[in-house]
Amino acid sequence: MTNPVTSWYDGLTQAESNVAWTVGVMCVLFVIGVGSGVLNLAYGLYLLALAGMYVLLSLGLNVHWGYAGLINFSVAAFWGLGAYGTALVSARDSPLPFTVDPIVGLFVGLGLAAVVAVIIGVPTLRLRTDYLAIATLGLAEVIRSVFNNQQAWTNGPSGILGLPLFFGNWPVLGDVPRGAPTYFLDVVLVAVFIGVTYWALRRLHLSPWGRTVRTIRADEDLAEALGKDAFRFKMEAFVVGSVVMALAGVFYAHLNLAITPSALDPTQTFYVWIAVILGGSGSNRGAFFGGLVLVIIVEGTRFLGGDLLPAAFPTAAVRLLVIGLLIVGVMYFRQEGILPPQHELVTPGTTDGGGPAGPAAGENGGGRSD
Amino acid sequence: MSALLQYVVNGLVYSAIIVLASIGLSLVYSIRGFANFAHGDTLTVGAYAALITFSGTSALLATSGSANAEGGLAGLLGGPAAFVVALAVGMAVAAVVAIASERLVFSKLDTSSIGLLIASIGVAFVMRAIVQIFFGNIQQAYQLPRSGPLPFFSALGVAVTARDVVVVVATLVLVAALHAILQYTSLGRQMRATSDNRDLARASGIRTSRIVDATWAIGAGLAGAGGVFLGLSLRLEPLMGFNILLVVFAAVILGGIGSVYGAMLGGLVIGVVHEFVPALSSLGIPISAQYANAVAFLIMVVILLVRPQGIMGEAVK
Repeated sequence: MTNPVTSWYDGLTQAESNVAWTVGVMCVLFVIGVGSGVLNLAYGLYLLALAGMYVLLSLGLNVHWGYAGLINFSVAAFWGLGAYGTALVSARDSPLPFTVDPIVGLFVGLGLAAVVAVIIGVPTLRLRTDYLAIATLGLAEVIRSVFNNQQAWTNGPSGILGLPLFFGNWPVLGDVPRGAPTYFLDVVLVAVFIGVTYWALRRLHLSPWGRTVRTIRADEDLAEALGKDAFRFKMEAFVVGSVVMALAGVFYAHLNLAITPSALDPTQTFYVWIAVILGGSGSNRGAFFGGLVLVIIVEGTRFLGGDLLPAAFPTAAVRLLVIGLLIVGVMYFRQEGILPPQHELVTPGTTDGGGPAGPAAGENGGGRSD
Repeated sequence: MSALLQYVVNGLVYSAIIVLASIGLSLVYSIRGFANFAHGDTLTVGAYAALITFSGTSALLATSGSANAEGGLAGLLGGPAAFVVALAVGMAVAAVVAIASERLVFSKLDTSSIGLLIASIGVAFVMRAIVQIFFGNIQQAYQLPRSGPLPFFSALGVAVTARDVVVVVATLVLVAALHAILQYTSLGRQMRATSDNRDLARASGIRTSRIVDATWAIGAGLAGAGGVFLGLSLRLEPLMGFNILLVVFAAVILGGIGSVYGAMLGGLVIGVVHEFVPALSSLGIPISAQYANAVAFLIMVVILLVRPQGIMGEAVK
């Protein structure tokens, strides 16, 4: 009998085994850091939760860019719609006169994002790619501008504070002491969100719908010639991805218990883009890995201050520099990303090897979708 | 009436800056074929380069006894004015940075126009990060006393400062110079040929790589001038260029992406509209001044839908 672990490992490509090792080392370092007290447990758990949020965002953008080839530069806006959606109905300091449970807020946030996705999608999804990029970035700024200026609805620039924890109103989980235990619950929550999203997106990707969307990405005219309504499929992909981004926003709002319009900065959008491109466009595993790397860059640069460097060291600028160099570096050295889609495009059980480890799913299997 | 005239004046000053920035974006698009998201940050780089040159030069002039620090027209343009030197340096530095980005990054990438677009976001981040590391995130301004409105225009009921006059006049000069280059020099003819059909231009013996460099230099130099004027009429901050980038895109798309004269026209229209937004509420349309950018973006989206080739652009696929 073959050992399932070694046969799994043998089936990995070079890039995959490198990533597996990197993630393994990261996990070990994390455990050592927390165990030795270098990394505060509550903060460590918060970082994990934040990583989970970025993974969700990357999965959402991957539906847009990786599956359907839509250049969407309004990631931060849909994320913000999710966050504001739940904040408006569940926060103590919301301008609305009532508060409801965050579970309801979750659906309000997702619904708001879905509706706005349709409103934005109708005019923009017919545009060619670079125009779509510019138009979505402009509309995202319009959305941020509304959150910033409609004082009566959104509290304007001061944002909405006083959100409850996601499980705050629940009988048992709501009584968990604040700090590490609540952050642990957040990690569990985001893990559930990611698990459900990942499973749903994989099903979608392998379904006839997913194949059609990939065809549209590769050759829209061909898809039209085959009788597919390209606009409809692009709209569906746009709404699905936007709802996943809003899910990340809802989670973030209840993680940080506050949301301000400045968090909808377009730079956030570009952060998520680097996660997806670095991971490998079209690959959900890549999006997952990209999200983890992103949180290391975004949060890791905070540690650069401290003892090593002068107090006035511009960590925000260094973060920007690192991300900028990373974008250029990826485009230069490895445009297809670190984990381009390979096994993901192959329906399980259809290859000779009986699974993802089969030869057909190796370096030549699948094939890039763009 | 005078309030309306004031909006026109503000609009013209803002338009001047947008026009200068739009030309470069459109030129680079027409010759290199991608939407350069680093263009706004090139403008920022030019603005900061001019600011440090200005403080350096004016300190030099002050020690040599020929200080010329009045804030009026004379202070800006008269004599060996620090500002003229600063403007030239700002334009030159922006041009050098843009050519460097082409040589080091864009020309090395074997990728689609979307790949170049994404790479340009990386380039933009690097430029902005370097500005932030050197100058911090605080706002800065030219150390020139504010002169107040010029009496000649005050008689007409509008406030026009010396800075406004400098910005508009200098822009007119730069735009006229560009027009002369494009229409009457062989460089201009080669640029137009290259933008029409790069392969055909190369086949006809035009050294297109030289044209590409010239395009970057002209486009970024004008953007650098726009940055200097933006810093002069408002303030400098590391995000200044990125913040107007979308308004510039709106102008370029309105005029027709790839068309230089379209960019001028689009910049003029978008700049004036942008400054007219506060006037809308007095006309009964309840949009506050904070939505000026939003109005520009919405115009852009409407133009993309109705006439994607823009006012002066040729039909695009």
